[in-house]
Amino acid sequence: MLDLGGVEARRRRRRVRAFEAAVFVPVLLALALLATLFFDVITDSFSWQVIAPHNSGRSFAFAEGFAFHRTWENVVRLELLAQGRTPEEVDALLADPEARRLFAARNRVELMPWVDGLPLRWLVTSSRDDHVADLPLFEGVGRRRELLASAEPGQVVLLNAWLDWSFFLKNASRSPAMAGLLPALVGSLMLIALVILLAVPLGVGTAVYLEEYAGDTPFSRLVELNLSNLAGVPSVVYGILGLSVFVRLLGLGPVILAGALTLTLLVVPVVVVAAREAIRSVPDSLRQAAYGLGATRSQVVFRVVLPGAVSGITTGVILAVARALGETAPLLVIGAAAFVPRPPAGPLSPFTAIPIQVYNWVSENDVEFTHVASAAIVVLLLVLGVLYSLAFYLRRRYESRW
Amino acid sequence: MRALLLACAALSVLTTFGVVAALVGETAAFFADPAVTFGEFFTSTRWTPLFADKSFGILPLLSGTFLVTAIALAVGVPLGLASAVYLSEFAPPGRRRRVTGLLELLAGVPTVVLGYFALLFVTPLLQRVIPGLNLFNALSAGLVMGFMILPTVSSISTDAMQAVPSSLRQAAYGLGATKVQLIFRVVLPAALSGIVASVVLAMSRAVGETMIVSLAAGQRPLFTFDARETIATMTSFIVQAATGDQPAGSLASRSLYAVAATLFAITLLLNLASQLVVRRYRERYE
Repeated sequence: MLDLGGVEARRRRRRVRAFEAAVFVPVLLALALLATLFFDVITDSFSWQVIAPHNSGRSFAFAEGFAFHRTWENVVRLELLAQGRTPEEVDALLADPEARRLFAARNRVELMPWVDGLPLRWLVTSSRDDHVADLPLFEGVGRRRELLASAEPGQVVLLNAWLDWSFFLKNASRSPAMAGLLPALVGSLMLIALVILLAVPLGVGTAVYLEEYAGDTPFSRLVELNLSNLAGVPSVVYGILGLSVFVRLLGLGPVILAGALTLTLLVVPVVVVAAREAIRSVPDSLRQAAYGLGATRSQVVFRVVLPGAVSGITTGVILAVARALGETAPLLVIGAAAFVPRPPAGPLSPFTAIPIQVYNWVSENDVEFTHVASAAIVVLLLVLGVLYSLAFYLRRRYESRW
Repeated sequence: MRALLLACAALSVLTTFGVVAALVGETAAFFADPAVTFGEFFTSTRWTPLFADKSFGILPLLSGTFLVTAIALAVGVPLGLASAVYLSEFAPPGRRRRVTGLLELLAGVPTVVLGYFALLFVTPLLQRVIPGLNLFNALSAGLVMGFMILPTVSSISTDAMQAVPSSLRQAAYGLGATKVQLIFRVVLPAALSGIVASVVLAMSRAVGETMIVSLAAGQRPLFTFDARETIATMTSFIVQAATGDQPAGSLASRSLYAVAATLFAITLLLNLASQLVVRRYRERYE
């Protein structure tokens, strides 16, 4: 039977190689799907558009007009002054709510690409460019000649990159061309800042308690059982918890703080798991040495264990932040607002976040809004990509630590 | 110091308590309403709590959840297991680490992005092949969800296969086994508890997944097992009911809690089952 190097052995080797190829295919499929997803989202954030521009109003340099969430007032002031009104008249108009409302109803402040020179300009306009047609990137390349030939006089064919600098600075809008990410970006940043502030002490505290203080008590076993089960609770159920407790019971309403508290409960188990692993990897000899030098338990924890575990904990926190950044369902359930015109002012403002915006823009069922959604997705995926690479790098460095 | 740390640790217990309390209170109020009966809830095939003509049969939501989950498992489990076999048994360590990193990236793609991808890329592609495929359908949501759970299945199964001691492998080779025989007769049986646990965990994730179904599968509770249809799942109903303006305390708002309680119970059972499998059937190697 044993026939090494013979026909039988060759046949066996061939079969193993065929099997290896067969189990490699799913890996390729998964990576291909990931690549297709990135490719699709990026190409979707470009489109060919036929536009009939209305060039009304004056242009102001970007730096001149931008004033964070007071940009609208600032640009309107510039426009009115340029129309020849006195500063007193302008102040009076802006201070009168009714006059403001009328002006805002008839005019819009838009951020446009600058035609010559600087990249961006502000424009106060009463009419909007008509978007005559919108074609996907590749279809537009194929039909470019046809598009140029069929464009009527005054119409422009251009490649619109929906993800440009203005996308980060524009507020929400009912019109896709003017919709931007600013409120969602600020909302997400505030959420993440609060989540870090809350989840890091809670998660690391739990890990230190379980690893350094508790030992094997019924309470610590209960905590462990809870942690492993909480990791399996669907995130939408956390949304219901947040809705019942933070929004209704504590009366916070659907504000950033309520969202951050909900996400904190969601990501604490992630931090705990990573922190415990990191704490466990600090060798016992270090603890014994510290005790031998007369250190108290909390001195050992704060001067020996935590400094030794910091890169592992950081990895966990990065993964938790990545998770919180992409979570949509719990925020939708607690009532993140569908339309937030301006960046939130503080933790007690109604808010939106990047994934919520993506959901709302996709739900608009409008081809131009899908481009806006994919621009937001590109931003989200870029940030997540940076976070995951950072975690990957930190983990590799810390693996070889002790 | 100790008390402070204990308070941190108690938070996880409080969270579970909070979830259960929130769900039980409103769910009890839901069933206390004269318009609702237990029998109807579990047997009726009409779910219309947001309409004027209300009916509360959860079966359409269960069938929708089951349909999408089944498709996801049919895609994600074989692909995930095969990837695990490749990563554990064939890939050189450097490549294993890189591919695992990329799969983690796939697992880290926010599900709202996967929902976008299912609705705007996969569905149009499938519509060219499958006639009668609705714009919102269970099929593309399930397919994309399969790729969402693939990394879960793959990473836990890889760990389980890696834990099979090399003495067993050497013994099999010594008996003249090929690598394929080794995998099917030694590694997979020895790693079975980890593999089963990974599948159950993946199932629980698929049942609880919200954004892919909300965006790509639609929001129409329909008692069907036809994957081309627009359906609703428990999770997509929760999002639909919570984003519409249901006044707190209304029957429609309470129905949301009843659905969430059912969802919570199902995923809890699945998680406990996966832990039990690991504890009961794990082969211990010294």
